[in-house]
Amino acid sequence: MLKDYILATSIEEALVCLKTYAGQARIIAGGTDAMLDLSAKKITTSCLLDITKVKELKKIESMDGQIVIGAAVTHSEVKNSDLIRTKAPLLAEASGSVGSLQIRNTATVVGNVVNAQPAADAAVALMALGAVVEITEDAGTSYVPIEEMYLGVGKSKVDSTKQMATSIRFPALLPGQGSAFVRLAQRGALALPMLNVAVVLSLCEDKVEWVRIVMAPVAPKPLRALEAEKYLQGAVINDELIAKAAKIAVSEATPRDSALRGSAEYRKEMLEVLVRRALQQALTTAR
Amino acid sequence: MKKDYTVVGKNIRKLDAIEKAMGAATFTTDIKLPGMLYGKVLRSPYPHARIVKIDTSKAEALPGVKAVATYLNTPRVKFNTSATSTFTIPPLQPVEDQYVFDSVVRYVGDEVAAVAATSKKVAEEALELIEVEYELLPTVFDPLAAMKEEAPSLHHCEAGKNVPGEKIHIEMGDIELGFAEADYVFEHTFKLPVQKQAQMETQAAVAQVSVDGKVTVWSTTQTPHPSRRILATIFGLPYSKVRVLNPPYIGGGFGVRIGLSAKAEPIALALAMLAKQPVKVVYDRKEDFIASDTRHSGYVTVKTGVKKDGTFTARKIMGILNSGAYCSWSAETPGVLGAMGLSIYYCPNQMYDGHSVYTNTTPAGAMRGFGNPQGMFAVDSQVDIIAEELGMDPMEIRRKNIMRPGLPWVLPYPCQSSGLEECMDLGAKAIVWDQRGKQNQDSDTIRRGIGMAIGTHVSNAWPFCGDYSNAYVTVQQDGSIQVASGVPDMGTGTITTLSQMAAEVMGIAFGQVGITFADTESTPFEIGSHASRTCYASGTAVVAAAQDARKQVFEYAANMLEVTPGELDIENGIIYSTLTQEKNISLGQVAMEAHLRGQQFIGVGRIIPQNAPPYLAHFAEVEVDTETGKVRVTKMVAAHDVGKAIHPLIVEGQLEGGLAMGIGYALSEEIKYDDRGRQLNNGFHKYMLPTAMDIPELEAIIVEAEDPTGPFGAKGVGETGLVATAAAIANAVYDAIGIRFFEIPLTEERVYRALKERK
Repeated sequence: MLKDYILATSIEEALVCLKTYAGQARIIAGGTDAMLDLSAKKITTSCLLDITKVKELKKIESMDGQIVIGAAVTHSEVKNSDLIRTKAPLLAEASGSVGSLQIRNTATVVGNVVNAQPAADAAVALMALGAVVEITEDAGTSYVPIEEMYLGVGKSKVDSTKQMATSIRFPALLPGQGSAFVRLAQRGALALPMLNVAVVLSLCEDKVEWVRIVMAPVAPKPLRALEAEKYLQGAVINDELIAKAAKIAVSEATPRDSALRGSAEYRKEMLEVLVRRALQQALTTAR
Repeated sequence: MKKDYTVVGKNIRKLDAIEKAMGAATFTTDIKLPGMLYGKVLRSPYPHARIVKIDTSKAEALPGVKAVATYLNTPRVKFNTSATSTFTIPPLQPVEDQYVFDSVVRYVGDEVAAVAATSKKVAEEALELIEVEYELLPTVFDPLAAMKEEAPSLHHCEAGKNVPGEKIHIEMGDIELGFAEADYVFEHTFKLPVQKQAQMETQAAVAQVSVDGKVTVWSTTQTPHPSRRILATIFGLPYSKVRVLNPPYIGGGFGVRIGLSAKAEPIALALAMLAKQPVKVVYDRKEDFIASDTRHSGYVTVKTGVKKDGTFTARKIMGILNSGAYCSWSAETPGVLGAMGLSIYYCPNQMYDGHSVYTNTTPAGAMRGFGNPQGMFAVDSQVDIIAEELGMDPMEIRRKNIMRPGLPWVLPYPCQSSGLEECMDLGAKAIVWDQRGKQNQDSDTIRRGIGMAIGTHVSNAWPFCGDYSNAYVTVQQDGSIQVASGVPDMGTGTITTLSQMAAEVMGIAFGQVGITFADTESTPFEIGSHASRTCYASGTAVVAAAQDARKQVFEYAANMLEVTPGELDIENGIIYSTLTQEKNISLGQVAMEAHLRGQQFIGVGRIIPQNAPPYLAHFAEVEVDTETGKVRVTKMVAAHDVGKAIHPLIVEGQLEGGLAMGIGYALSEEIKYDDRGRQLNNGFHKYMLPTAMDIPELEAIIVEAEDPTGPFGAKGVGETGLVATAAAIANAVYDAIGIRFFEIPLTEERVYRALKERK
């Protein structure tokens, strides 16, 4: 049963607290998912450890070409950050499509990853950015690529009763690199995506140096379209190639039937449209 | 010569504006009484089952639990949660098919038991301790299947298998002759979804029983007086010992509580009687979805005979609606569907047949439009089909056939006013109708379209069922006035518009009017807020009461001024002779003089309203993404003949709210069920109400074709905002992509599949 609610003031204090509670305390940031899980009894804990007042976790910083977003940074802060809007516009777009304004003002970007849902908008964009999560615990700090963060639907590599995801980082986009985040949903806000797709594309002269294509919800976690990426790598990109790449991407995905958010068949056909549109948009912004 | 109005027609600040903006307004959900307990309801997990055994002993033993109610210890009196039971006119009989609790449950969410405890948490824990053994019964979910011989019977029915109440039949002229005279006959069937009212405040009630047995119930009802009658009947009490009131505000309604607030009132009262403490029952949002009335889903077939020149010669409509597990308004809704669907166009030969059918789903009841949006989606989709077949412009075929004052129709009262043609013309201009069909290149993947549809409605329920209003207007000693009307204000601005009308008649400033409302103890009988009637019907009663008070005042003042009452008039609270302006006296002076001599001016308004047709023309502009099937409404124009707009801003608010609801009905809102009778869309997360991000520019145009039967010429406006919205949008989608839809909502997947099938 929940007894304590602690506002941590530093990472060190939070780690000490986790240790003291020996598995009976749980890190909470925005809490927009955790509070629902608690009331639905999907999780239980005797102490919630709130990290949103920890100053060092509230920063969005640029360091040596890397952008670092602290664990207490909200979707609204990311959406409105000039740095993110210029150096990772797809993330601003993705964070801007999470839930509603009230949710975006509360929920955090790192929480979007730690919650480990298959189609969390910001997480999908972050995977396309090649993001790495910083995990801090008693034993020290480790860095885990976002793709390795998922142990299953709703299951994260971070154990929030023992560890903290303290920040997430990714390379800022450079000239010649473009990106896109596109989404199909049943309404303009407060709707989980039927599909979302993120693309980051790097051009070297007129050839594709590399591209990352991430699709969701088409697997238990956001899914890289590795075959499609490979197909485009080194190619001189054009509409025909994009169309073919979109078809390849679809063949890598296994969307499920959802009584609420569209049949598998519809999702598959839409995935092709979305991947194609995302690639076209990323190409336009890269040029 | 008619004077200019000083209060009516003005956008006065709403009486409840500051209270609501400051969060100070009281709703049922806010009420807290000394010793108050919290009630929670155990609901059936099965769509149809008999309760073989129910053991509440463990729940009763839980500390903090004060009462547990089941069918074994609550009244075995049948009722209908809707107000239909209180004003169905003989020889028709109201359908009464519900108990507070029964030994058979008929849908997922049906009431099994309820607990009153010292906290919500304890009450919820106690629910888990109630042991119920169910015997599962056969189920049926579709109304067409439920009419078949082999379907399970949900209730005893006289009119047909699982048909609640009477089958509706409406007829005018000779339908066979009409079809014989036609050059072409068109017939199409349309399928309609379950829509939810999604009002802001969920169903709620607080019940208190005094030591001498007097009952007070604060609740979210739209009809305090009829609700009092239902409660008094269930619990066997004199009406005069039951007080039902709003506290005084309701967080919306849209028809979901015309009568009881689902079963919040009788459950709270049953628990309060058992516990001998006040009990509060507030439905959570899921309960509000699964166990509180929805709009009727169903099937509508329209068959129309038409001459080559576009003149309608015959129209037959058939409606089969899904009642859900209990009747609620299911005996009446098919009637409004037919009556309105037939009455929008003049056609000499008309017929309607329709009824509802019980199924093991959440009961359907009243929702804004009351069958009319279902019927008009079908009728006005088909009119566009006919227009295209005949090579006519949709505007012109409508112009040729619309109902006009003086023509015969199926309704039992005359059409005395219509601004419909003006609505059509103004709306067409605003949407730029001439662009229709000229907006797309062959290569466009995003295709644009424009469509329109029209409709009418009622201004109250007379003479289909009992409908009347009473009101008092009492002149205070200082010349201010107190209005008393039993009608609620569920956010529709009722108390403001009623006060405006009283001020106008009394010739005093708006600020001099006080109003008591929505309380059976301080107001005379009044049906309540439904059927677009409050401004029209309750307003007529308030105007009558004010005229009565004014007459008494003038008689008294005439004596004081030594003139005749007939030459008096009043402006700004000053009574004056129209013959000799120097002869004047303030209303306050007259009232005080009368008071000192032992008299108060008490005006009484007792009226049976007439009825009047409001009219509307809706125009939609859409974009269809042909690669995804996504439909976006980019603009809606809604031109409405509302009679006199007593408060134009409130009218616009009503229209815009209706449009938003209509856009949801057309594009995204639907409650679906799984194969075990459970709602898939049982809350705001899963039910696709449009958000602010989905609502386009809305242009409401007010046309004032004043009706001689309405107060100051006003007609009903509460429901018209969504009568034709879905048809207008579907017609616009047809213009964009050339595909006709016979089923809504036009979800992206439904539209995409149709696009794909065409390829």
